[in-house]
Amino acid sequence: MKTVLKIIVGLPAVLFVVMGLRWLVAPADIAPEFGFVLGDGLGRSSQIGDFAAFFLTLGVCILMALVSGRRLWYYPPAMLLLLAAIGRILAWTLHDATFAGGMIVFEIAVGALLLAASRWLPERE
Amino acid sequence: MKSYCFRLRFAQLVVAAFLSGAGVLVFAASASESDGVRPNIVFILADDLGYTDIAPYGGEVSTPTLSALAHQGIRFANYHTAANCAPARAMLLTGVNNHLAGVPNIPEMLAPEQRVYENYQGVLGSNVVTVATLLEDAGYHTYMAGKWHLGAAPDKLPSRRGFARTVALMDSGADNWEQKPYLPIYAEANWFADGERFELPEDFYSSRFLIDKTIEFIDGNLRDGKPFFAYVPFQAVHIPVQAPQEFIDRYMGVYDQGWDALREQRRQKAVELGLVPADTSMARMASTGDWASLSAERKRYEAKRMAVYAGMIEAMDFHIGRLIEYLKAQGVYENTVFVFTSDNGAEASGADDPEAFASRRMAASLGYHTDYERLGLKGSYNTISPSFASAAASPLAYYKFYAGEGGLRVPLIISGDPLVNANTLTHAFAWATDITPTLLSIAGVAKPGPRYGGRPVLPMSGRDLSPLLRGEADRVYGEEDTVGYELTGHAAFFQGDYKLVRNGPPLGDGEWYLYNILLDPGEVIDLKQTEPARFQHMLSGYEQFTRDNRVMPLPENYSQTGQLLSNYLAERFGTGVVVFLLTVLVLLPFLVAYRRPPAESARNKR
Repeated sequence: MKTVLKIIVGLPAVLFVVMGLRWLVAPADIAPEFGFVLGDGLGRSSQIGDFAAFFLTLGVCILMALVSGRRLWYYPPAMLLLLAAIGRILAWTLHDATFAGGMIVFEIAVGALLLAASRWLPERE
Repeated sequence: MKSYCFRLRFAQLVVAAFLSGAGVLVFAASASESDGVRPNIVFILADDLGYTDIAPYGGEVSTPTLSALAHQGIRFANYHTAANCAPARAMLLTGVNNHLAGVPNIPEMLAPEQRVYENYQGVLGSNVVTVATLLEDAGYHTYMAGKWHLGAAPDKLPSRRGFARTVALMDSGADNWEQKPYLPIYAEANWFADGERFELPEDFYSSRFLIDKTIEFIDGNLRDGKPFFAYVPFQAVHIPVQAPQEFIDRYMGVYDQGWDALREQRRQKAVELGLVPADTSMARMASTGDWASLSAERKRYEAKRMAVYAGMIEAMDFHIGRLIEYLKAQGVYENTVFVFTSDNGAEASGADDPEAFASRRMAASLGYHTDYERLGLKGSYNTISPSFASAAASPLAYYKFYAGEGGLRVPLIISGDPLVNANTLTHAFAWATDITPTLLSIAGVAKPGPRYGGRPVLPMSGRDLSPLLRGEADRVYGEEDTVGYELTGHAAFFQGDYKLVRNGPPLGDGEWYLYNILLDPGEVIDLKQTEPARFQHMLSGYEQFTRDNRVMPLPENYSQTGQLLSNYLAERFGTGVVVFLLTVLVLLPFLVAYRRPPAESARNKR
């Protein structure tokens, strides 16, 4: 059961690493998947730097949690994902953004999964 | 009063001469004297149109609008351009050789080894200034509706290269009925309007839409008294060859005699029109099929492929006619100059048998069919075969992508009431870089100096064709003047009436040949042996041209098709492979650490 849970937690980690690397390698290709085109100048710098950092941090933290067995590593990615979901809801309610239902559900689901893993997977001695 | 007017006019002339140079002055004065305003300019560019595809050049396709323009203007029988798309457009819009302007080839066909050179990027460099920029800065409204293909980066879009209003296709081509790519190398058809991504309307047909937009742009500023420059680079007749049913119907049965009959018929008509000498011989391309050996069903299919092609040409002509009717209705036609030409010769990339399994699979992979009944309509992938392309280029040898006359020699009509030398045919040599200097001359705008817009720019190598338009000269290139050209090893070097030419594989043998293209436009009689001194002299001239224009050697084993495929694979899958390898690299340390037994970890800690 614990192995299955580790695999389920590991899959989004790999996905996040891939997305972070795509932001570094081919940002123009991945930008439209987030609903915008790659900007110019400082905007492009911020888009690539911030998005790559976001996803690589998510992926690496989860991998660190799985490898080290320290539940502390689950909290940063869970916080990032849940805050991203809250941010999307606020963007929809306060700033006329599109309601990104699918993305919100995914972020909440993975965030909750990470919190569950931090509780159910044993802390390594 | 007369004396005052004379002095005023004289003063204007002196100032204009100071600003623009004497050549520009004379034409501008003659062009604008009648109504006191600068002429509007409509520059229409067909795509892949063969030398004898339109009626004024011997074609059987009904093109009454272009025939009327030819009647009111001047037809060039000896005008040449590049052998493929973007290089031609770079020269047409800047007056600078395409190698220097950054476009030695379309980017889709450039090898990685070539891309290391600054001038081998396949997009219009910042070291050249477009005719649109120059005209806009001189007070013209500048519009563009059609294919751009000179760079899709934000600073390369037509909206950043002098065109105030644009709707432009960034790719080498696209579907004519919907927003859909025509080759797997494109994920989508990339259309932009005024610098932003653009979605085509539901009722899109390329030729109609581009003229609608042109009229819309012109209409938006028509009453402010400023002249306009409208650039209309059609998708017609680039693949996929598509046309409305009513235009296709007019040509059903017209091509039932096949490509050899059509090629001969067009040769005869070109002779009758005085475009080529009466004794013009034709070379038969190795890629031309045997019509007689085809089954009745295949003949029927081939004839319809060509009927769609003819329908597409007539549809383009029809919509150009709508633009002219609009200009007449607005009372500005009389003060408008029209330039009509093609970017290169006829396209021969279509499969010999598009109903064969491989061809159908390729079309199907893009969401197309090749059904006979629906050929040319929405969802249909139609081309003409190399055999009919050879007829489209009649009586010339080779076609698009090659340096033979069929790839380089295309129609050029310059027309309009502001011109004085109507209904004329000239055999004077003219080259793609001549268009921009000629348009500037017509508008009374000077060529740029060594710097423009705060940056250094290359001088134009093209020549002003105005003396020909006014009937004041028989030629603008003298016997000793030269023009060079190169595309992936195919090469040409023009001097006087002579042409040195080299066509590489698969159709050519890579050897140099020498022809007198005025007497022998079909490139049949090689003069290399009979005029060895001229041959050597022109060969040296070509070598000098490659040095002066930074023409780089071709990578070993290069082929256009191979490079296109290689670039496609790199573009389509290259990023995925890199991301995969990097992901493995990132995950590997975690995997190693995860599989290491805890005891070992603990030991290491101690």
